[in-house]
Amino acid sequence: MMATAMVLTEDEALELLAFLVTAARTQLDEAAEYGPLRLLTGARRLAAFIAERVSPGTRALLMGPLSQIPDMAVRTADPAGYTAALDAACRAVAHHLVTHFGRDQGTL
Amino acid sequence: MTNPVLEAIRTRRVARAMTNRPVDRPLLQEVLEAARWAPSAGNRRLHRFVAVQDPLTLRLLRMVAPGMFQRPAAVVVICIDRGRAAGFGIAPTSKGLYIDIGTAAQNMLLAAHSSGLGSGVVTSFSQAAVKEVLNLPEHLSPEMFVCLGYAAPVQPSAMRPRSRITWQSLTDWERFPG
Repeated sequence: MMATAMVLTEDEALELLAFLVTAARTQLDEAAEYGPLRLLTGARRLAAFIAERVSPGTRALLMGPLSQIPDMAVRTADPAGYTAALDAACRAVAHHLVTHFGRDQGTL
Repeated sequence: MTNPVLEAIRTRRVARAMTNRPVDRPLLQEVLEAARWAPSAGNRRLHRFVAVQDPLTLRLLRMVAPGMFQRPAAVVVICIDRGRAAGFGIAPTSKGLYIDIGTAAQNMLLAAHSSGLGSGVVTSFSQAAVKEVLNLPEHLSPEMFVCLGYAAPVQPSAMRPRSRITWQSLTDWERFPG
């Protein structure tokens, strides 16, 4: 079943758009390790905007696995741990996608 | 007897989360006056400060500043006056221009801390976008935000695990051995 409810206002979407575009520019001058940091910050801002309007399952993802990586974490502090944390977040996102889009129902 | 200046230097921390309590204008003016007393190359004062307290302008600045985690009650944007610098024959990349940003910022951070304010600097922003938001004249380039407000009780964890840093670990004496 497709979820069609609007979960972002125009103001919120514009704020995210501005963040993404300006982050692309600032990344040209910043330490490379800030790349993942900025992307995760963007994801957190999106999560904060939509958390109250999404389905319970998506909200659980936002409040659970996606909130596990500390706001200011960067790769150099703990490269293996950082990679593992991102892998765990990606797995959680993919698991939610499979459930949310019904891929876990039946076979092809 | 403790030295209050050294005590302020030792106890200041970056505030990456702030409450929504506003900063009174006189307090902000004290912070700006501290910047005025910062050392400046050749005492040329090639910087301009834009103080922002309007909530909508603050919100717009944060939208174009990916490195701005806090929601400050005030921001001082430190700008280089490129026109005046060129008038002195100073190259755009002259280190003095940037060192003077640091001295002014540090004075503001310490002034804020001594007044009970939290603070943090941000350099991760689009200069082009900030110029647009603030309607800056062409000769002013925004280089650093000094974010000011009251620090929230809970702060995000530090960027890196705290390792012990001492002045000794940062210092060598006289000259390096051959």
